[in-house]
Amino acid sequence: MSSSWSKEILAVLRKEIQSEIRGKSGLLNSLLFSVVTVVTVSLSTFGHAISATFGAGMIWVALLFASAVALPRSFTLEEEQGTGDLLRLIARPHAVFWGKALYNLILILIVALVLGGLFLTLVTIKGDKPVVPWLFAVSLLGAGCALAGAVTLCGALVAQAANRSTLAGTISLPLLLPVLFLGVNGTRAGLGDGVLETGLTATVGLLCYGVASLAIGPYLFAEVWKH
Amino acid sequence: MLAMGAVTAWGFYAPPAKAFTEPDLARMIFFHLPCAIGSTLFLIYAAYASFRYLGTKNENWDVKGTAAMEIGLVLAALTLLTGMLFARYQWGAWWSWQEIRMTSFLLVFLIVAAYFALRSAFSDSGKRAQISAVYVMAALLPCCLLIFVAPRLPQFQSLHPDVVGKGGFDRIYNSIFLSTFALVFAGCVWMFRLRVRAGMSELSLEALRAKLADRNSSSAPRVVSPVPLSADR
Repeated sequence: MSSSWSKEILAVLRKEIQSEIRGKSGLLNSLLFSVVTVVTVSLSTFGHAISATFGAGMIWVALLFASAVALPRSFTLEEEQGTGDLLRLIARPHAVFWGKALYNLILILIVALVLGGLFLTLVTIKGDKPVVPWLFAVSLLGAGCALAGAVTLCGALVAQAANRSTLAGTISLPLLLPVLFLGVNGTRAGLGDGVLETGLTATVGLLCYGVASLAIGPYLFAEVWKH
Repeated sequence: MLAMGAVTAWGFYAPPAKAFTEPDLARMIFFHLPCAIGSTLFLIYAAYASFRYLGTKNENWDVKGTAAMEIGLVLAALTLLTGMLFARYQWGAWWSWQEIRMTSFLLVFLIVAAYFALRSAFSDSGKRAQISAVYVMAALLPCCLLIFVAPRLPQFQSLHPDVVGKGGFDRIYNSIFLSTFALVFAGCVWMFRLRVRAGMSELSLEALRAKLADRNSSSAPRVVSPVPLSADR
């Protein structure tokens, strides 16, 4: 990748981070959503131990909804604030996609870290086998890659739509449900349920899915962005 | 309709499938399988049409892609409904989340339904076509994983008998299935062509309206120019 590409990508990423630091709404909303989800699960189970599979499912539901709500904002805000055309002038479509996808990846990894940590701390999870921390962490990393790529593209698709705020979730959630399959399998094995090899295969599949969506994403994004 | 009725009647003459809990009701497979295969074929064609639209920007491909998605959605809904009926009488439950083929096809149905939600959010036809085509290409990877890969993974159990792949149908069941499939597919292709023709007519009407609006708003001296009558674009 030439230095001009990396400069454009880093410029877009820096702009996103600075906007977030000023506004603080995307990350704060996602983190608050994660905390509320953990509290809700803990309260609704009366503090009893839950199975590792159920816990993995809850983590993934919270991650999916947090990403579907927060991640498409990076494009919808551009259209609402009227800065979309400026971004089209100063950066190439692939660089814009990579900058925003990297920002979304950082955002979802922070949310996943907080969510995973809170779940392990506040919710009693009972697995058949011991927790495998590295598999748990890698499955959340794979989650970040898969979610970032798909939701960045969905955000670009709905940015110019009439009812973009509700449409973002409607469009991105069905596309992310297959990721849920792989993700829950990997995460539950990391929490000590199911077969370890199956969890490992699912996690590798998740990472490959993330890589594939990040690879295809820029080309599809370019078709949407330049019109 | 007559042919469909004849094949349906022929289906009742087929011997009951002894391997199933309700042997007589296993005949539902003659409608369930063609709907599933037909839905997959139309979705594949929709992906091809979207790819061609992105390459040529010709709105005819958008019309064809949308028509294919509509037929694919209807067939997917019929697949799920007949599948639920089959599951209720053969496996004792309307739905089983453990059954990977049912679950994966439901996810495909949701992805296709979201396509229409996306289309309805754009009033500009060019933007709508562009966004829809990109969505279909983005949905191609998850749909291929759900339809072709997930049901064949060893960690997922499926109660679906693999009769087509492993030659589990006997001769008479094979004949009825192929006849039903041919009829269902022919019927869907006919509906597809009608829908495409309607879509092309809408495009021509829009183009004529746009020309009329241009002519009315133009302040230049009116010049009579021939208006093409054919639908060729």
